[in-house]
Amino acid sequence: MTVAARNATDVLRTLHDDDRFGFEFLADLAGVDTGSEMWVVYHLWSPTTPDWLRVIVPGLARDDPRVPSVTFLWKGAEWAEREAYDMFGIIFEGNRDLRRIYMPPDYVSFPLRKDFLLADDSARSSGAGYRHVEQMGPPASALREPTLRQAKSLPNREMGSASQLPEETATPPGEQA
Amino acid sequence: MTDSTVRSLDDPNVWVDTPATIYDAVPPYPPRSEREAEFYDLRDGEMLLNLGPQHPSTHGVLRVVLKIDGERVVDLDPVLGYLHRGVEKLCENGDWHIAISQCDPLEYVASMFSEAMPVLAAEKLLDLEVPRRAEYIRVLAWELNRIASHALFMGWLALDLGGLTPILWSFIERDEIVDMLAALTGQRMLFNYLRIGGVNGDLNHDFLSRLGDWMAHAGDQIEETQRLLNQNEIFVRRTRDMGVLDRDAALRLCMSGPPLRATGVPFDVRRAHPYSVYPELEFDIPTRTEGDSYARYMLHIDEIRESMHIIDQVLNDMPDGPIMAKIPRLIRIPPGRAFIAIESPRGEYACYAMSDGSDQPFRMRIHDPSFFNLQAVGELVPGNLIADTMAVMASLDPIMGGIDK
Repeated sequence: MTVAARNATDVLRTLHDDDRFGFEFLADLAGVDTGSEMWVVYHLWSPTTPDWLRVIVPGLARDDPRVPSVTFLWKGAEWAEREAYDMFGIIFEGNRDLRRIYMPPDYVSFPLRKDFLLADDSARSSGAGYRHVEQMGPPASALREPTLRQAKSLPNREMGSASQLPEETATPPGEQA
Repeated sequence: MTDSTVRSLDDPNVWVDTPATIYDAVPPYPPRSEREAEFYDLRDGEMLLNLGPQHPSTHGVLRVVLKIDGERVVDLDPVLGYLHRGVEKLCENGDWHIAISQCDPLEYVASMFSEAMPVLAAEKLLDLEVPRRAEYIRVLAWELNRIASHALFMGWLALDLGGLTPILWSFIERDEIVDMLAALTGQRMLFNYLRIGGVNGDLNHDFLSRLGDWMAHAGDQIEETQRLLNQNEIFVRRTRDMGVLDRDAALRLCMSGPPLRATGVPFDVRRAHPYSVYPELEFDIPTRTEGDSYARYMLHIDEIRESMHIIDQVLNDMPDGPIMAKIPRLIRIPPGRAFIAIESPRGEYACYAMSDGSDQPFRMRIHDPSFFNLQAVGELVPGNLIADTMAVMASLDPIMGGIDK
């Protein structure tokens, strides 16, 4: 099932609350970067029947992906949303604790995005590793440059005062824009 | 030089001020979220206490900042990421076979479950039928691993409550199983045994003779361990009515596995969303209704019994035949999306895999049950004593390898 981001709250609330659906069990919450857009994928289970449902919220802009949070239905989605924010930069509006969960607080990139390349990509996969990059990223010749790892080239990774931190982590994510 | 000055790490001749105050636990940057601002804002009488990351009862490398008022925990803030390897990214950058060994160390006391993720996802995308003998061997390995993991849980829980004997006893049992699996797979812990389309090796004599020896006394061993704990007054007092969850709270916190079943929800992925040959096997889903640490502990014992029952059936019905489906070694997985879930010792282990038709996964999302179960400490611990933090945490059986991915 595919839902637009603006309807996601209502749809998920109905699926959760309505007795006819009874999808009370959030089996998984995943962020996805398809290379051109972001998705958020929910998998729902019912604790009593063998039904399952996959709800995809596609078409989120890569530069500012925003979806409403589901923490008001499933408190346990809080960390999953933090993880999706940490790895993809997807902003879940309404999550009270949207901060990085795995990466250090002063980290600035989003590692699971397709334009975040590992330094040894070219060494490990001869050709195949570029396949996601071709449409959007730098030309294949640029991939061998040592500045590949994005985080390395960004200045000032030391922890410090607010003025030293990059703007993105200095302001709470909910208050951007 | 005062009490709070120490030698500098850079130059031992220089003394530097390190006012060792409770405020050292406050992060040296402005709060990043509402919740963080609220947590690090102390009221009168409250202080912060740092637990971990290197603490034996955090079951790995977990740091927890406790906000305490006297001996009571007011709030807590778990800090994750010390074991983060970026498994999902590594899976995307290797081929499907490499993903199997990348997923191995996720759940490092029950690797047979985490390494099944890319295997089952690829099989579902390929629509591949696995030989029946391979399925039976898988179930056998899974259930043995479940018992090893559960035995360890009983020991750890007692250890975190201050009892040293049970962990030594449960390690005896666990080591027997681990050695058995080493005879089967060649590895003690990170097996790398499952393959897309089957398993890596057939049952051998060494494995079967060890299994027979163990089966002969396994029941007694579990009986003995639980005699040590079930009636132990200290153990019972520190687990009964501790960390109580009800059905709605457990579902709201996205919990699965024993903590969910301890609240009375008979939800087991093996029955609710069957996979492999579990529909053919006969076993019960034990549940408890109390929802406290003691119920979770008792549930683990019941599940060990069910697993042994499954092992009996599997050994009786083990079919002959090949252990690998006929697939090319260099495999391209057809494009598509697949969601698979299995019941690990800690709950629902799931994987959402996307393939774009190449030999590498396009996206491999791993859902680890400990990650969601551990989250419950935020609701269970506040109000209890500091010493009970570990007791409650241990009863949720978190494995940091999977939590930090």
